[in-house]
Amino acid sequence: MDDYTQKLEVAIRAAVAAGNILHKHAGDAFHLTRIRKESFRDVVTEADTYAEKKIIEMIRQYDNSPIVSEEAGVVGELDEEKSYWVVDPLDGTVNYAHHMPFYAVSIAYMEQGVPVVGVIYNPALNELFYGAKGLGVYKNHNKIATIDRKPEDALFAVSFSGKKYDSDARLLEFVKFKEINDKTMGCLRTGSAALNLAYLAEGRLGGCVGRFNKIWDVAAGFIIAELAGAKVNHRVDKNDRFLLSYTATVPQSEGLLKEIVVL
Amino acid sequence: MSLSKRKKILVYGAGAIGRGYLPWVFPPSEFEYYYVERNDGLREMLEHAKQFTTWKTVKKNGENLYETLVVPITECFAPGEEKSLIQDIDVVVVAVGPRNVLSLTNSLKGTTMPIICCENDSSVPILLQSVIDNPNIVFAVPDVITSNTASEEMKKADPLSIITEDGICYIDDHISKIGGNATYISKDELVKQWTAKLYLHNTPHCIAAYLGSLLGVQYVHEAMDVPRAREIIAGAMGEMQGVLLKKFKIDEQFIDWYADKELERFSNKLLFDPVSRVAREPFRKLAPSERLLGAAQLCLSTGVYPQSIMLGIMAAFFYSNQHDPDLNIQYLVRSLAAADFLRIVMQLSPDQALHQLLLEQWESNRVILKSIHG
Repeated sequence: MDDYTQKLEVAIRAAVAAGNILHKHAGDAFHLTRIRKESFRDVVTEADTYAEKKIIEMIRQYDNSPIVSEEAGVVGELDEEKSYWVVDPLDGTVNYAHHMPFYAVSIAYMEQGVPVVGVIYNPALNELFYGAKGLGVYKNHNKIATIDRKPEDALFAVSFSGKKYDSDARLLEFVKFKEINDKTMGCLRTGSAALNLAYLAEGRLGGCVGRFNKIWDVAAGFIIAELAGAKVNHRVDKNDRFLLSYTATVPQSEGLLKEIVVL
Repeated sequence: MSLSKRKKILVYGAGAIGRGYLPWVFPPSEFEYYYVERNDGLREMLEHAKQFTTWKTVKKNGENLYETLVVPITECFAPGEEKSLIQDIDVVVVAVGPRNVLSLTNSLKGTTMPIICCENDSSVPILLQSVIDNPNIVFAVPDVITSNTASEEMKKADPLSIITEDGICYIDDHISKIGGNATYISKDELVKQWTAKLYLHNTPHCIAAYLGSLLGVQYVHEAMDVPRAREIIAGAMGEMQGVLLKKFKIDEQFIDWYADKELERFSNKLLFDPVSRVAREPFRKLAPSERLLGAAQLCLSTGVYPQSIMLGIMAAFFYSNQHDPDLNIQYLVRSLAAADFLRIVMQLSPDQALHQLLLEQWESNRVILKSIHG
């Protein structure tokens, strides 16, 4: 089996260094820039840019694999059949900009399109989730695992992206949201897909659903959730290879999400 | 006592205390032994052999010698299999490690027999009581070091050999006396013994193991043979003696006697006390109120400067064992900056004195630890 120790250590180092930047600048995070035209919620802060620069710089000290990053795009020659990094310097930017302590740095290392190392760091709550194939999965110093509860005993979360905004599709998403909410202990929209998956891995959530999320939002969360015992299903958008929809659940909730969500 | 009248003792955990020490406290002539062991390999060996040998180091005429005891086993169960027999058991001893205690509650729920907790955590009886509703659960302090292995020669004679020291098992006299060679004492006396064990034994003992690991030795007594390591261990002992005197008002004569006894037992060459056993699960030992960070915090709160304990803490941070359940400490200490490691992993906030001291001395203490080979 491949040993991912070095990749994991690089990812932890870079995620925490970037998280420290976000945390330091959290007080002046109201300076938002709208950089894309897809949605008025698609914002970026200056801290995103600093954090991303730091991550790329730190990865490059140890590793030359290409990097797919939210703001910088593709750094290096990407061959998806080989290995590469996927980076989101700030998942939950809207939360961050409004001083909601629910945002994270998310870094994954991929092999042939599959995440094998993942790190998610929420600097506001001092929560460091990390895991790698063959090395286990942890939060801070503790091993973590999902808790297999029945849907009616578990809390769920959804992540609807600001990308690919379409009002009819959005209406359908809220119908699904209502269905999940009515058949479970409740359904949340937290604003961070990465943390939803990390919280599923830790046993706080029974499942999560994402529609049109970007790969950098969820790649680290996928491997962390899977290593912790969750079942992750996803479908890549036919027009955008970095856009995907997914369900991630504990076994007892798989049936419910299959019934409600069509990927 | 005739064999048929022996009391049935069920021991959870056939490790160091469960197998090596307990048969000296509750001898097989009075007690019929049943074990529950989750390690498949060890359980199968015990089930197959139906007996094992425990070796006790005793001091005679100033010299350490061995005594041996062959312990017959009636049965060694996998966890959960003991449930059918539980109502016939006279006494239960729990020695599985504090992290694993909750896994026993299913079998012990609704029982009334005495349950003795030989765990390195005084909160375990309270925890168990709250879950299984048995008023007869007490804490015990085995004042002893027990190895979970033995020398190659001993293992040749019996692969299940294990070595223990000679030492007293202090048990809360709240439970009815169940016989054997245990010493039943009041809660106050037990607290005194536990406090001494917690700080004068646990803290320097695990520091000896972490230094031993850095030195690359296999047994604790080998670390004690290295002068610079011994100096740090004795220094940590001295710091804890200062705390006990100031904070717990325990009499100085008892503290001095206890400290000397501990340093001598760490050096016992017959014990073969593995570094990997004593250093196991560093995160548990580094928990905020535990024997390393907790001990250093106690020092600071009583005006004792924990220089040697901080070296022990640093040695624990750098504990490297691929087979340890807490092997992720290696990923974290290698990848994080010192301040981040202390804040995120150790949960020491930057405004705490201990965070600041460990950070200030991070590099200089690393240099000291690198040079302990002499």
